[in-house]
Amino acid sequence: MSFDDILEDLKKREDKARLMGGPDRLAKRNTRGIMNARSRIDAFIDPGSWIETGLLAVSSLVPEDQNKTPADGKVAGFGKVSGRQVGVVSNDFTTKGASSSATNMKKIGHVKRVATERGFPLVFFGESSGARMPDNMGAKGMGVNLGHDPQQYVRNRETPWASAALGQCYGSSAWYNCLADFTVMRKGAIMAVASSGLASYAIGQKVEAEDLGGWKLHERITGLVDRVVETDEEAISEIQRFLSYMPSHCKEPPPLASIPAGSETLGENILDILPVSRTRGYDVRKIIKCIADIDSFFEFKPQFGKTISVGLARLGGKTVGFLASNPIAKAGALDVAGCEKATRFTVMCDSFNIPIILLVDTPGFVIGIQGEKEKAPGKIMNFMQALQMCTVPKFSVIMRKTYGQAYLNMGGGRNSDDVVAWPTAEISFMDPHFATEIVTWGQQTNEDVKSDIRTQMEKDNSAYGLAEIYGIQAVISPAETRRYLIDQLDIHQLRYSDGIGEHRMSAWPTTY
Amino acid sequence: MVIREVTSEVIGSVWKIERSVGDAVEEGDLIMILESMKMEIPVEAPVAGTLSEIKVVAEGSVEEDQVLCLIET
Repeated sequence: MSFDDILEDLKKREDKARLMGGPDRLAKRNTRGIMNARSRIDAFIDPGSWIETGLLAVSSLVPEDQNKTPADGKVAGFGKVSGRQVGVVSNDFTTKGASSSATNMKKIGHVKRVATERGFPLVFFGESSGARMPDNMGAKGMGVNLGHDPQQYVRNRETPWASAALGQCYGSSAWYNCLADFTVMRKGAIMAVASSGLASYAIGQKVEAEDLGGWKLHERITGLVDRVVETDEEAISEIQRFLSYMPSHCKEPPPLASIPAGSETLGENILDILPVSRTRGYDVRKIIKCIADIDSFFEFKPQFGKTISVGLARLGGKTVGFLASNPIAKAGALDVAGCEKATRFTVMCDSFNIPIILLVDTPGFVIGIQGEKEKAPGKIMNFMQALQMCTVPKFSVIMRKTYGQAYLNMGGGRNSDDVVAWPTAEISFMDPHFATEIVTWGQQTNEDVKSDIRTQMEKDNSAYGLAEIYGIQAVISPAETRRYLIDQLDIHQLRYSDGIGEHRMSAWPTTY
Repeated sequence: MVIREVTSEVIGSVWKIERSVGDAVEEGDLIMILESMKMEIPVEAPVAGTLSEIKVVAEGSVEEDQVLCLIET
């Protein structure tokens, strides 16, 4: 065999591997407007930057599958996004449903190890049917395939992970979607422990895939995904945007961006958004957009835990995380879903050296039987502990109401490095109206007496009361907020560690 | 022509309806005010267009995510 023949043979093998599950299956996807494992990678990374690993890997346990498993159903490798290194695992559903096998799990393990040890983000394009069968069947199937990597599902948050649910996501795709720092879901994708078919068979009840793991469930009820999009292309673009805010690894600060012109003057619009009436709601996201660099607010979980809006943004070109009470929902009262969302986001920011800004307008926590059934006190403490464990700079801006324990959860007192209030702030243990009802509960109290009590309850709940005892560091005009926070970011930068926090929660769970 | 549904962010009741069917609205215009947990919750037009249908009545109750009105763009 000549060298030419040898090289021709190599090329043939590579070309064959790149065909994935074959032209018919790929064409069907194309007709439905769904990208494939390789076109997703092409759209995601900088042109010409792809370095594949395991192109010639195939099924290793079932001999008859060796010719039917190009790249063994999971395309893996390394590329650049905006010039920055990333690792990618892209599931090829046209090859055995991208099911997990002995070979492709080694590929995932390799990319994950390299990304973690060398310090760059890891991205999963999820679409998989679960464990491959019959490979995993029987005692030997289980013993050969599973459990050899004791770190397989450990999140230490050394580097950012992003994941996309782009089709059926059962088994490993579902696991990685839940372990990632940012997860986007395309409408029509399904994420669940097992398929609706298996669930229907196992429990003897017809289960619809959308009910089991559709986008509405995950966007609004479970909160397991951060954003929902219409197309694969949008999902890819969302991950690119997420990565633009993030450091490559936990031992460097997030990248700096240029500051869009006009960002300095938007603060003047805040008073057009903040209602004069204390009982009027408003959408806090409009206020965030007046404080952050123009077009930089990137919201997480907008339809889940809506009483608090969280997202990455930039302030003076620096990445920050906003956690803001949103009075448009439940008056901004923190509920269980809101606490879960806030906890997860706080842990992510702290793990990747992203300073946190809390915007506060909350009458407290949502109370009632439902919340208690959902373990509200535990959720409140998870959030509180996360905030207190943070070692990144934290700043709290009291815009309007801040009451009770929620005052602490939203960074009041020494729970932030600097607390500032607008003159519209009101601070107390409880809303004066509720306090009046509590102290007169069960008594025949007429309205005049109640009114006197209410006046007494409203006493000294202003920002100035807190400023006088140095419970806050300043009272500022809303329009000055952006400037104030940019100055605080400068003052409180972590000089001893070049901007790197202690990451005391890096191994915390990713779901609460 | 695209019909955009405007939904409620909260469980509560309709306090005031400020606009009428057929009105032209700009993005951000106040359409109605809901009441929930002793708070007034403004419902604003998410897009510019014509208010083609109002699906709730003043003082009626609303559920979270309920469609309140339609805007034709």
